[in-house]
Amino acid sequence: MTSTAIRTEHLTKHYGSLVALDDLDLEVRPGEVFGFLGPNGAGKSTTIRLLLGQARPTAGRATIFGAEASDVARAHQFLAYVPADVSLWPFLTGAETLELLANLGPGVDPAYRAELIDRFALDLDRPARTYSTGNRQKVALVAAFATRAPLLILDEPASGLDPLMEREFRRAVTEARDRGQAVFLSSHQLDEVEAVCDRVAILRAGRLLEVATVAELRHLHRTAGTGPAGRELSLEEIFLGYYGKPAR
Amino acid sequence: MNGAIVRLTLRQVRRSAIVVVVVTGGMTALVAGTYRSVVTGPPERAQLAAIAGNRAIRTLFGTPSGLGDPGGFTVWRTGTVLALILGGWGVLVMTRISRGEEQSGRWDLLLSGRTTVSGVLGRQVAVLLTVMAAVWVVVAAGLLTAGVRGAALHATGLALVGAAGVATAAGTAQLFASRAAATGVAAGLLGVGLLLRMVADGFAGLAWLRWLTPLGLVELSEPFGPGRWLPLLTLAVADATLIVLAGRAARGRDVRGARLGGPGRRRPSYALLGSPAAFALRRARLPIVAWSLGMGAFYLLIGLVAGSVTDLLRDNPRLAELAEQGGATGLGTPAGYAATLFVLLTMPAGGFVASRLAAFIGDEVAGRHALACAGPVPRWRWLGAEMLAAGTGALVLALVAAVALWAGGSRLGPAAALAGAANVLPVVALSLGAAVLAVGVAPRAVALLGAIPTIGGFLLVTLGEAVRMPGRLLTLSPYTHLAPVPARSPDLPAAAVMIAFAVLACTAGTVAYRRRDLGG
Ligand SMILES: Nc1ncnc2c1ncn2[C@@H]1O[C@H](COP(=O)(O)OP(=O)(O)O)[C@@H](O)[C@H]1O
Ligand SMILES: [Mg+2]
Repeated sequence: MTSTAIRTEHLTKHYGSLVALDDLDLEVRPGEVFGFLGPNGAGKSTTIRLLLGQARPTAGRATIFGAEASDVARAHQFLAYVPADVSLWPFLTGAETLELLANLGPGVDPAYRAELIDRFALDLDRPARTYSTGNRQKVALVAAFATRAPLLILDEPASGLDPLMEREFRRAVTEARDRGQAVFLSSHQLDEVEAVCDRVAILRAGRLLEVATVAELRHLHRTAGTGPAGRELSLEEIFLGYYGKPAR
Repeated sequence: MNGAIVRLTLRQVRRSAIVVVVVTGGMTALVAGTYRSVVTGPPERAQLAAIAGNRAIRTLFGTPSGLGDPGGFTVWRTGTVLALILGGWGVLVMTRISRGEEQSGRWDLLLSGRTTVSGVLGRQVAVLLTVMAAVWVVVAAGLLTAGVRGAALHATGLALVGAAGVATAAGTAQLFASRAAATGVAAGLLGVGLLLRMVADGFAGLAWLRWLTPLGLVELSEPFGPGRWLPLLTLAVADATLIVLAGRAARGRDVRGARLGGPGRRRPSYALLGSPAAFALRRARLPIVAWSLGMGAFYLLIGLVAGSVTDLLRDNPRLAELAEQGGATGLGTPAGYAATLFVLLTMPAGGFVASRLAAFIGDEVAGRHALACAGPVPRWRWLGAEMLAAGTGALVLALVAAVALWAGGSRLGPAAALAGAANVLPVVALSLGAAVLAVGVAPRAVALLGAIPTIGGFLLVTLGEAVRMPGRLLTLSPYTHLAPVPARSPDLPAAAVMIAFAVLACTAGTVAYRRRDLGG
């Protein structure tokens, strides 16, 4: 294991003539919560699929704690993942799904999992086909947080959660960081990113625009003169600034 | 909106619909057109009549009627196979475009407007019935020279069996929340229909059972015999009733809801969740049991009537002579008869194997593999597990067929029965190979490619035998290389070649699968 959780070098993915990800260089350190921001279609999910070895890069490479992303047997010992659109086996109950994912994952902490099931108010005795989008997402989140994998890769994980569950989610992210787990959090919910992330990367149309802490981003924009003087810029204003739209 | 649904449905079904229309029309026309060159004179005609009239053969192919002319011969030779293809296609397509789309969530958007579940269902049924109308046209055209009335009757019968598949599946798609259940139950009903027809043909006292099954009603119409419309009218009324009932069941139910919801809550069962192989087996066990029941019933029935073949030979020495001359590959002896029947085993077993790999791709397309493949289990192991489960299922089916045929009293020893069933497994392996190759290089065509070695190969030899096709073309079919075990000893080199091809295809498919992006 090296001291870098995620490292990408010139990571590039083309779909035909479409450049979904262009020459991405990124480094995520152990124990940090890394926000991965970008509008729809920016290439966030594409990046994650490359990190997971579920898509092959057109060029460049990615490593997870030093293991090649394509070497799934090794790289996936270090990570847990929550997809953007969680799709479960319809005939398995929530409990059976968690059991399956635990058996096939990098190992779980059963006591913490029981606590998470409680906190996320999961009804585990129903077959997954009766679950709502939010419930499916909660199953995947519990499965991921319950692993003690040193890296959690979460793709817009809170998009289907209600405010109460969103709060539980943020708590779980903070707990993970406190345990020393790194969290790679793709999102376009800016308040969420602002609340939990140590550093953020901003992606647009497959290109990395910026990597900085939230405080650095604020500073950068104040000195660049984009914000009104004398007031803290919100991440939303900064974010919209990157995409060329005026803040409301 | 209505036009949009019709266009969407057409796009979803057109590829396989074209295949089905071409196969039914083509086989009918070819067999009818070449009748004179195959059945050349009175001796052949007598031999054919003796074989076709035998109880065991009758059970399989139905009671012949008007065998002496091209129309009757075509009906007898192709009727059952084509009816099953049409009914099976109707079931598979109907549940795919209705319950399958609904289950995947794609109807949530479609039905958020004023369109209703029953409205969509009605249009889909209408499109599939239009395909059956096209089948009617090509079948009738292929038989036109054999007699207008017979052509109309046979074409109507086939189209109505296809419609029965559509109607049944339209109903089960309302009853069950999962596409697999809806397909399984509808296909099971179709299978029961076949078994009933077989019982009716095999046991004189039970001939009335024909009135209860689509295939029996079609047989009762005897297109090139007396020609009756009443049974077909009965079938048409039954089809229409089923469609109306399906529409009723669709009305007023929730999107993604079902009339038989299944248990809302249940206690967890943690068996077979420990590894990819165990989980693949868990997903395959219900289909294996269901297919085994069907196969068991089929071969038991066949075994029960098989004895009459020997009686036929005893009563008809001339035929026994002909069977000898014909190389004993014919249906003349219990062993030869069993060998022929085991060849049929390849189609359900090959279909089963292809359907397992198609389910694997279904999981991928639904996005389930994104989660499964996030663990430290390499993707090729997931595919390998699926191949293992599919292969195990095929072995179970072969075993069930052998035991059932033996238990039915086919005058065949258990070892001979097992050998006969094992002999056809290399062909099933070819289907597995084709399906795995498709998983790697053409994931959307897994079911189609997986069916080519078995169903495609079988259609090729059936057609080839019926129309005396050139031998070179026939060597393309794996069935050409199957020895009639247990009547003869197995052709081991041919089996080795088939296994080698299968292994090669499985390897290439797995390598390609590892290299390609995960879909979904
Ligand atoms: N399998 C694919 N085939 C073709 N294009 C794709 C595929 N996956 C993603 N894309 C395209 O790549 C771009 C980036 O998509 P994605 O990574 O999903 O964006 P995000 O997750 O940031 O919303 C989009 O334009 C999308 O349409
Ligand atoms: Mg995305």
